[in-house]
Amino acid sequence: MIAAVTTLLAGLIVGYLGQRSRMCFVGGIRDFMLVRDGYLLRGLVAFGLTAWLAFPLVAAIGGAGVGPFGRPDAVTIILTAVGAFGVGYVSTLANGCPFRQHVLAAQGVVSSATYLAGFFAGAVIFHLWAAPLLLRLLP
Amino acid sequence: MRARVSAATTGIVAALLAVIAGSLLDVRPPDAYGICMACHARDLVNWTVNAAVGTRLTVAPASLVFPVLTPLGVLLGGLLAARTSGEFRWHRPDHPLKTFLYGVVVMNCALLAGGCSVRLLLRTAAGETLGIIGFGALAAGVIVGTHWLRWRAAR
Repeated sequence: MIAAVTTLLAGLIVGYLGQRSRMCFVGGIRDFMLVRDGYLLRGLVAFGLTAWLAFPLVAAIGGAGVGPFGRPDAVTIILTAVGAFGVGYVSTLANGCPFRQHVLAAQGVVSSATYLAGFFAGAVIFHLWAAPLLLRLLP
Repeated sequence: MRARVSAATTGIVAALLAVIAGSLLDVRPPDAYGICMACHARDLVNWTVNAAVGTRLTVAPASLVFPVLTPLGVLLGGLLAARTSGEFRWHRPDHPLKTFLYGVVVMNCALLAGGCSVRLLLRTAAGETLGIIGFGALAAGVIVGTHWLRWRAAR
């Protein structure tokens, strides 16, 4: 229950700031490549650096640390790389990362709401069909 | 037009909230799970479907008893910001089926990779090898996608 309340509040804050700043985790790289605009890229870098500093700091004040992470096997590495490449490629075509699509849907962009309908349906599709199929095909 | 809150500020606040939620406020396991638009949406959708029709779709351990509500929070936060700033406007969709399919594909790819763009970066910051590989592949996907868009526009 704590997790539910925490994520609701964190989501509320991040969603609010995301709307005010047009933050997008895919748009940073895209904008920099297309027009050399580093505005969104700075947001991406700020997120990464802050998290990198905050993980050990929060662990030092008594929070749960992260890791150690085991050595991944080759199949997991390939699946992660293929999946992540797909997220990056298709998010670029869809004009924004999943976070940005949530924010756009909330400000009345119906095509982002349509995207979200597919996004939510995709979760059920993955666990009902895609993952079992993959498990059967993999060694 | 520049927004009133910078993307860098949003990045810093989002990262702090993600780490605090994950390490201090029970949004775990798995590790580095504080914010993820894909996994958290999966948890919320699958938990609701499980509760409604008795299926046993996968949810993360963090969402077993009650699901994480990040997608709902982001939608409400975005709505609040858009309403208070007068930026809320209905836009009709261009290609509904295509955008719907984009959503399906991105969710499936994200669940395969173990995170959307936000969580892949969070895992990278946590020092997980798979996260670093994932974020590298994500960046490669964006670069190829941008080249493709530019090529199509120039044709």
